[in-house]
Amino acid sequence: MGDNRKPAAEDLRIDSSPQPRLLKILTIITALGFAGTLALGFAIVGTDIQQGEIQRIFYIHMPSFFGAFTAFGLTVVGGVIYLTRKRETWDRIALAGVEVGLAFSLINLLTGSIWARPIWNTWWTWDPRLTSAAIMCLTYAAYLMLRAGIDDKSKRRAFMSVYGILAFVTVLITLFIIRIVPETIHPVIVGASPQNAQGSFEATSGVATALLPSLLLWLTLMPITLIWHRVRLEARIEALNRLKLQALGG
Amino acid sequence: MKPLSAISCTVMLLVSITGGILKAEDGEGASTPYFQSYAFNVPILKGWDDQSTDDIAQFQLAEARATIRTATVATSDAVAGAEAELAAITGAAAPQPSYRDKVNLADGTWQVLVYDVDDETTASVMARQAGARVVVISFVERDPAARTALLTLAQADDSLGDASPEIALAAEAIGGLALGELAEVGSETLASGEWVVYTGEGAAAMGMVFGNDSYVALQVGAPGDLAALADAWNRTLLGFFITPDNSRYLALGLAVVIVILGTLVGSLYWRERNLRKDLALLEQLAQEGD
Repeated sequence: MGDNRKPAAEDLRIDSSPQPRLLKILTIITALGFAGTLALGFAIVGTDIQQGEIQRIFYIHMPSFFGAFTAFGLTVVGGVIYLTRKRETWDRIALAGVEVGLAFSLINLLTGSIWARPIWNTWWTWDPRLTSAAIMCLTYAAYLMLRAGIDDKSKRRAFMSVYGILAFVTVLITLFIIRIVPETIHPVIVGASPQNAQGSFEATSGVATALLPSLLLWLTLMPITLIWHRVRLEARIEALNRLKLQALGG
Repeated sequence: MKPLSAISCTVMLLVSITGGILKAEDGEGASTPYFQSYAFNVPILKGWDDQSTDDIAQFQLAEARATIRTATVATSDAVAGAEAELAAITGAAAPQPSYRDKVNLADGTWQVLVYDVDDETTASVMARQAGARVVVISFVERDPAARTALLTLAQADDSLGDASPEIALAAEAIGGLALGELAEVGSETLASGEWVVYTGEGAAAMGMVFGNDSYVALQVGAPGDLAALADAWNRTLLGFFITPDNSRYLALGLAVVIVILGTLVGSLYWRERNLRKDLALLEQLAQEGD
């Protein structure tokens, strides 16, 4: 930062090493797994008797929440380790976790809303689970906006690490609220549904056959692969920004 | 050409999503024929005379002297809306309800009302406030030989897959009957679901469970048409609550998933591409500077 020398052409190199072999393999397995679980859930397992075709959206709706859980969990891990070791890589992991987790959360929220229209006869209701999921999305959207608004890098990283750790409370509330608040109408698939649940169904063997592979994919491979790609990209963007500053004599 | 391709793809995706929403909403291609108005959709009852107008879904079964009608009323009071609808159907002012309760369903709280309009007319009504209007689903029977009531009750014990406790409540509240006066004769599978059936001297009762609610049909006088009436009523209710042909919604959901994941992966690609462009520009500037 203190070096005012403008870079020569040969200095303008950022890490352009090829993707690690493991990342390539993970990407291929994830893409194939995604296609496979879609085929399993949308074409192979049987149609629910009561809810009809729309019940199949559940094979994405629930796993996408757990994918977001993994991604936001990595944000917590990244935040904690950054605060203790001050290594930039962990801040990048935290940021990537939020971007990927937010996309997964939006999938969870929107697929739930689309399911609700034919089953609950409404696109949206202010149910505790739906409300907490919406608050979770807004909390992590605010993370990205706040991050973009802090210029000082070290302050930004420290502040966003703390924010990312605290924001995870919204994930836990969303996860457990249907076990705590009996007024919810959101069904519970594993365990007894609450008294007022509407649109619940049994986790029969057919449901489990489609759900378990999808759950494993969204819980592990999808967030890890996407976060890895995003972390590599962020490292290159940061390196480029440093070069731009040098080129400007900053 | 590349930006044009990207714009074309985006437009196509937006069109497909919008088309998905519209098709899902209008039920086009559905195998169950639906009455559609600006305010609600209900299935068209096969075998019933369709007397619907633009805003009112009305079906009549002449041999049972029964009418099932769904409409909206411009009021903010669900009971007032129910009574206005009843007056519009029967041509007489609605009396005090002989049964009144509420049931919480996913799309809101419904008033459940039963009226003995006169010696030969009975009515069962469900009404829910929807903004500045009230949606009213009515069943009216003008049969001096029978008195039929159709009720929705929250299950007292949702671990039971059986509507018998709610049948007992309804029999006592509506017909002044104890469940012991009716004998369980087994179950009957109808288009709307699996019903448990009770019969007694001059009375019959049926009940089915859906979600955590029991749908109960009770008839005193027993002319033998309870199953047809209960099935039609519940096809209307469940068709109102749960759109049976919902594959368009599934397509819409899948499109949303692909768009969001595509945007995420696409953003990684676009940022990488911009990064390479910026780097190339920096190299060019540096070479010119050298």
